[in-house]
Order: sequence, then C-alpha cells, then structure tokens
Amino acid sequence: MEGVEHPEGEGRGQLISMAMQIEKTFQVKEPVEQVWSLLSDPRRIATCVPGAKITDQVNEKTYKGTISVRVGPTTTDYNGELEIVRLDSQNHEIEILGKGQDVKGRGSASMKMTGKARALEDGSTEITSVSEVNVVGILAQMGSRVISEVSNIMFAQFVKNFQAQLQQPADAAAGEAKPISAASLAWAAAKGAFHRDS
Amino acid sequence: MGCRTSPEVGGMGHPIKRKEDLRFIQGKGNYVDDVQLPEMVYGHMVRSPYAHARLKSVNTENAKKLPGVLAVITGEDLAKANLAWMPTLFFDKQMVLATGKVLFQSQEVAFVVAEDPYTAADGAELVEVEYEELPVLVDPHKSLDPASPILREDREEKSNHIFHWEVGDKSATDEVFENAAVKAKVDAVFQRCHPAPLETCGCVADFNAATGRLTIHLTSQAPHAHRTLFALVGGIPENNIRVISPDIGGGFGNKVPIYPGYVCAVVASLTLKRPVKWIETRSENLQSTGFARDYHMTAELAAGQDGKIQALRVKTLADHGAFNAAAQPTKFPAGLFSICTGAYDYPTAFCEVDGVYTNKAPGGIAYRCSFRVTEAAYLIERAVDVLAQELKTDPVDLRRKNFIAPQKFPYKSPLGWSYDSGDYDAAMKVALDMVGYDELRKEQQEKRKRGELMGIGVSSFVEIVGAGPAHTFDIAGIKMFDSSEIRIHPTGKAICRMGTKSQGQGHETTYAQIVAEELGIPASDVTVEEGDTDTAPYGLGTYASRSTPVSGAATAVAARKIRAKAKKIAAHLLECSEEDLDWEPGKFFVKGAPSKAKTIQDIAFAAYTNMPEGMEAGLEAVDYYDPPNLTFPFGTYICVVDIDKGTGEVKVRRFVAVDDCGNIINPMIVDGQIHGGLTEGFAIAFMQEIGYDESGNVQGGSFMDYLLPTAVETPTWETGKTCTPSPHHPFGAKGVGESPNVGSPAAFVNAVVDALSHLGVTHIDMPIAPWKVWNILKEKGVVN
Repeated sequence: MEGVEHPEGEGRGQLISMAMQIEKTFQVKEPVEQVWSLLSDPRRIATCVPGAKITDQVNEKTYKGTISVRVGPTTTDYNGELEIVRLDSQNHEIEILGKGQDVKGRGSASMKMTGKARALEDGSTEITSVSEVNVVGILAQMGSRVISEVSNIMFAQFVKNFQAQLQQPADAAAGEAKPISAASLAWAAAKGAFHRDS
Repeated sequence: MGCRTSPEVGGMGHPIKRKEDLRFIQGKGNYVDDVQLPEMVYGHMVRSPYAHARLKSVNTENAKKLPGVLAVITGEDLAKANLAWMPTLFFDKQMVLATGKVLFQSQEVAFVVAEDPYTAADGAELVEVEYEELPVLVDPHKSLDPASPILREDREEKSNHIFHWEVGDKSATDEVFENAAVKAKVDAVFQRCHPAPLETCGCVADFNAATGRLTIHLTSQAPHAHRTLFALVGGIPENNIRVISPDIGGGFGNKVPIYPGYVCAVVASLTLKRPVKWIETRSENLQSTGFARDYHMTAELAAGQDGKIQALRVKTLADHGAFNAAAQPTKFPAGLFSICTGAYDYPTAFCEVDGVYTNKAPGGIAYRCSFRVTEAAYLIERAVDVLAQELKTDPVDLRRKNFIAPQKFPYKSPLGWSYDSGDYDAAMKVALDMVGYDELRKEQQEKRKRGELMGIGVSSFVEIVGAGPAHTFDIAGIKMFDSSEIRIHPTGKAICRMGTKSQGQGHETTYAQIVAEELGIPASDVTVEEGDTDTAPYGLGTYASRSTPVSGAATAVAARKIRAKAKKIAAHLLECSEEDLDWEPGKFFVKGAPSKAKTIQDIAFAAYTNMPEGMEAGLEAVDYYDPPNLTFPFGTYICVVDIDKGTGEVKVRRFVAVDDCGNIINPMIVDGQIHGGLTEGFAIAFMQEIGYDESGNVQGGSFMDYLLPTAVETPTWETGKTCTPSPHHPFGAKGVGESPNVGSPAAFVNAVVDALSHLGVTHIDMPIAPWKVWNILKEKGVVN
C-alpha cells in the first residue's frame, strides 16, 4: 500500500498506556546500613510485600516467587521471577525486575523497581522507590483508578512490614506476609477511589 | 400525507400503538435466554487475557475433573473436525477457538460445558492456558510499519494490509485541487464504538439425535442467512437446521455476524446430544463481538472563492482488528462509504480506503448504519464546516449554496450513486425555522462579547439505505432481495411472514399497517411473524434500514397480488366483469353503484367457500422483492450547545431533527426511532469509545468505562419532518431507523467546534469528554 500517510498528532486516536509509574518515599529511624541490609536481601524484602513469597533461588541474582493480589471479589495469583538487575552497595541503590503470570492464565504483570536508601542528618534513613508497573489482562481492564488504589494500600502495608522487619535480626527465618483480607482491601480501595482529591 | 384508511383500519400514516409492546411492557417477551429446554446444559468461554500471544498449552484436565463439567472443547479439538476456523462475512476467516496464537484480548480459547452456568464458569477458571507474550500492535497507523509484527500467520500474504479500495477519478480530482482557490482539510477519527444492545448475544443449540434435526435459538438479525452459513460451514443438510430468532433485545448490527460461541454451542450439542445454552456476559459482548467504525479519515474539499465546492478527496485507514469480520455487501470492502460526497452538487471526487489488521477484537459491523454511511456522513459534514471556517462564511449559507437542487433528481453522484429523490433545502428551512437560527447567531455574538461559550452545529446528511438491487448487492453470495408471504384466512384475518427480523423496530405493527393500507384489513387483524426459518420465506434479515425499503415493498407487492385475485372473486360474487369494479381500501364496488360492494372479508370467505370455477382455492401470495435502486433518506439536524468553562462540560441546550424518510407508515414509531438513534449519536459524540492501551488491554470493556446515556444525560429532542417520497418504492417509503445515528454525530461535534471556532479550533475528535474541552480551553488561554 503505497502513499498511505496519516498525520501524527491532530485527529489521531489516543493510546493510553496501562504502564504506571509509582513513586513512594518513607522514612525509618534506623541507620542506613541496617536499612540497606534489609533492602538488598530479596528473601527478607519479599516478606514485607503483602501476599508475596520467594519459593526458589535460581542463581545469585534470580529468584522464583509468587504474589497474591486481591481486588474486590477476584484474587490474582502471579507466579514469576524476580531478578536483581543492579545492586549498588556504595550508593545503596537496588534495581529489581519482576515479571509474573497469573496462574489462572488471566494476565501478567511486570514491574521495574528502583529502591534507594539515603542517610539523613539525624541518623535516620529515607527510602525512595520508583516503580514502573505494567499490567496486562483482566485486572488491567479495571483501569488505573483501581490499580493505583490497590498499590497504595499494598504500599502502606509494605511500610508497616518493612519497619517490623527492621526490628528483626538479619538472620531471622524469613516468614511470609499475610495477604490482606479481600474485604478490607476492596473497601479501602473503593473509599480511596471515591475520596481522591483530584 | 393524508391517510387513506380510517384509524380503525390503521393503514399508513396512523400512529397506532405498537402491538408487540403489550407483551414487552408486561415482561412477557421471549428472548433467547428465556428458552428453557429439558436436559439443557450451559457453556462458558475461556478467553485470552493477552492481545497477542503464542498459545503454548491448554490443559483441560482439572476442569474436566470438576463435578458437573461435561466437556471442555479446545481449538485443537475443533481442528480435528476442521472447525477451528470459520469464514467471516467478508472474505476472511476467523478462529472459532484459538490454535497457535491469540490475536486480541478476550479471544475465545476454550469452551466449557456443565450442568449449570455456575459450574461452567468455575470449570472455565480451571482451564490452564500457558501463553508466551508477543509484541502487540494496537495503532492502525503502525500496521504497515516494517517493524511491526505480522499478525496473521495463516495468510499467504505476509502483511497486515487487508485491502485497498478506491472509487472516483483520482487524476481529475488532483487537478481540481491543484488549481483550487480555497482548500479545507480535516483529519477525523470515527472512534471504535460498540452497539451494546440491551440483550447480549447468545444461543441455545439443540441437536435432536432421534430426528437428526438441529434447532438453534439464536440472537440473529438474519436467521435465514445464518441457517445457510451453518449448513455450508458445518456440512449439516439445510433442511435439518432450524434457526429460530425469538424476541431480540436490540441488534444495531451487533447480531449480524456468526460468533464463536454459537459454533461452540452447536458442536457441544452435537457431541453431548443435549441442548446447550450459551449467553454472553456484558463484558464479553463489549470486548469480543462486532465493534463498529474505527475509521481514521482525512477529507479535503476544494472550492472557489464564491464558496462553490469543486471536489472532494478522501483517504481513510480502516482498523478491522484481528480478523476482517465486517458484515457488508460483497462488492463493497468499505461498505457504502462512497456516499461521502453528501448532499452537495459537484462533479469530481476521489475516495480511497485501506483496511488493516491490529490486535483488537474483529469486526467492522454496521452499527445502526447502512455500511459505513455514518462515517461518511460525519466526514463530509465535518469537512463542510471546516471549509466554512476557511471561507469565513456561515456554515448554513455554505450548505444551501451547494445543495443538489430538487430538479436534479435522480442525481448521479461523482462516486457513482443515483440518488432517488431529495429536497435538501426544504428540510434545512424547516430546521432553521424550528430552531430560530438567526436569533441564535445573534445570541452567540452577544455571548462571545461576554466571554461565554455557545455553539450551533448543523448537519445536512444524506443516507443510502435499503440494500439492495440484486445486480450489485449480495452478502456472501446471497442476493439482497427480501420477502413477504401473506395468507388471508377465511374469516378475513391474515398472517404475514417475513424474511426480515425485528429487534425492536416494531415490525409486528408496521408490516400489519402496510397490509391494512393495501387490502383494507384492519392492522389489528394481521399477525406478523418473523424469525423462524421453518415457516418464514427466505430473506436476508434486518439491518442497514432495509426492512421497509425491501421487505416492506415485498409486503405491498404481495398484497397487490392478493388484491388482483380478490378482484376476480369480487367480480364473480357481484356478477360483473373486473373492469366494472373500483377499489377503495377494504372493498371492491361497482363503478357508479357504491352500494353494490364486496368487502375484503366477504371475498376472503368466498376464496375458500365460493370461488369462481377453475380458480385455485385460498387467498395468499408471496413476493421476493428486488429493489430497483437504494433509497436516500435525508435531513437537517441543528444542535445548540453551551460550554461550561470551569469544567469543560458541554451541555446540549437544544437539538432539532428534521427528517425526510419519504412516506411514513407510523409516525409514532418513526419518532421513537429518531429519539433512540439521536440518543445513541449523543453517546458516541460525547461518551463512548472502545479504547485500548499499548498492551492491547480493552479500556471500554464494561459499562463502567463504556458509558450509556440515561434519562439524566439525554437532551430533549425536537423532531420535524418533510416528505419527499421515493419514486421507485411501491409506497414511496425510504427507511428511517438509522438516520438519527448517521446524521447526529456531526451536528454535535460541529456545535462544539463552533463554540470554540473563534479560538482557532477546527476539529475535536469524539468522544468529546469534558477533559478534552477543558484542555483546549487551557491551551487557548481561556482558563488557567
């Protein structure tokens, strides 16, 4: 087909991307080295993520795991791999690539997360994470309004677990964070969606 | 038009109440999902979450172990019976259940059958499918990029290009453009929409092993065509297939194609020898069944400084999704899009369309539209407004200057159509008077001085409906005639059986009114029956506003055949010759002696009890009508909007719709059709889009995202009429069902653009959601 030109921009249908960038910052009172030892250990950090579990270590940098996400009446269990792309102990930065498929074949999700721990003047630590999340499948049809609320709730739970985990000695047996109950998550997400400022 | 019959007889022109509504308003309709059969089981579809992925494995073991699950059918199972693929209605094929790979989100992958619908749904969750994700192609503009993946590995042609189609004189058009004093251009996307009928698609397939007959209760706008296709594709003798299309809760083109769920239900019923019901959910309907539009169009108009249009040039990219499942006449890959020259008189035009594949649901169906006429009307009516802006002239004046004059009909359009009749300026005049156009323009000037935003949008559309003449029109080879069979019972009551199928249009009332008009039998005495292929005469069904132009014509012609026989019987009863008789609706009488008469009821009784010697008993006729031409309804719509600068919300203050559909059978039903179609047009203009994100996730897959207007959002409609009968139709009718959907989107968009035109805005793509308007206002510095 020769000569088919269609102008960019004006008059074009718009594509919306389901890829979302989520940036979060929080502080803990522990010093940066203690925080970093937790942040850089996938087995321990996984216990902080609601519904997540490391099941196997493939090699030095790659782990297998599962994560269970509940939105309203549906639970999506993702089965996948976690790879540490970059581990910079000097600057306390870690870059993780996670990719999982819904075990019931209803979709997949991938996430690229950069985490950074920074020492503050008072001896406490600021943790910043920037995640790019891409969801494909039934969950993605619910749109960003639901997914970003769910991630907010999961993050709040993560911070709580993270702080609790900091109190544990580094070699404590890695437990498993409980998935959040379906009812509370759905309700909180609904509340969040209705009460957003924007 | 005055009525020739009394209100009691209820012939043409009487606003009699719809007969079918008696059962509908009582909740006594009989839809496919109401069908209950002994031993019936239920199907549920497993669908792909991915828009493009290789199918590595489909494991059905766990699903089959679930108590109550009777069968799980996969693409590989169907492939063994050579049924994994089926032909579409337009020279393509589509997967029934996926083999190899999936090509759009929600594509059918496996079919689970169980004793009850809940177990079937649970079983579907247990089907384990392993996918390998592939790069996704969503943007049709990238379909032909060498870097884009080739979606269809089954095709010999290794390209995402489906067709190129062109019509008109390219070099003559280019030449006019080279020399034109004034040129206007608009790039307009008619977004992907969905008809979203109230009733989703579904079927009950019932194979009776004892008789060898397959009965399919089907949400079908074209039961006969579907029977033939099931026979041809499935290899089942056509006499052993009975398609019953019961009450249908809205079709709008969505119920023209054959869907994988139907085929799976039939296969399951043949396998299990039990009736299998499959009913879509709302989301399945929106995500996988026939979408409409998705035309990415560019129109250019060339004109003189005097505002006379000289030529039109159109280039369009058609996104058909994963399979070209358009349902349209065989010779027209872009439907009747070449009606895009509109209501205007100029000799030169060129139009080209290229169809491409993307990782989206298949389709390209005619949503309340005679095959791409909506896209065409929208495009030309937008382009004329852009030209008016270019010429700094009033869009109404520009239209009136260029209308095809009434004496020029039949009018040969530059892209080859022969318009049957029209008086476009008459409809325009009525609309201008109704809305008070001059006053509104003054008000707009005043408001602009105060910084308020108000717009007036005009659309003078021309439709092309009633497909169609057998020499040019067929669907999958079957000519697009349609039929009517009328039988008059001895007591003078009648039954009328049709090749069409109402989905809410009111056929049980309007066809009866045609019989009443032609034979004088009260409409209340005429039963209209459609949708059962065992009893109805063969026909191509109801879509493209073809019922009144084609089957309505067949009804009149069949009735006239009956009247001819009735005349012979009357002459026999009155002991005179046929030449001595005159007819008025309901009776023959002796010329000059009106008291010497025989009513149609007397004659009907005599047809069974006292017929002339040598005459066959009975009083019945059938007609298969082949229309000599299409019909060309038209109208002028004017929309007045106010825009809230704070929110970007567009408020439709008034909407005047003046329609000309020729002679009218039932004015109340016509008004109802116009109200419904305008409401759909309003939704398309402001609310609806089946969008996709970059990964091919459907963003309009439920009513949470694909919005339906309720009474709260819907404006008040003001309707008006002119009447220019079709010269070739037996009773001068043209068809109206689609006009409001075809004509209104341009009026809405033109009104919004008009409100913003002084800011330099020339076009906004639909749906015009508040955020789009607000962004424009922000960009233009109207709000901070």
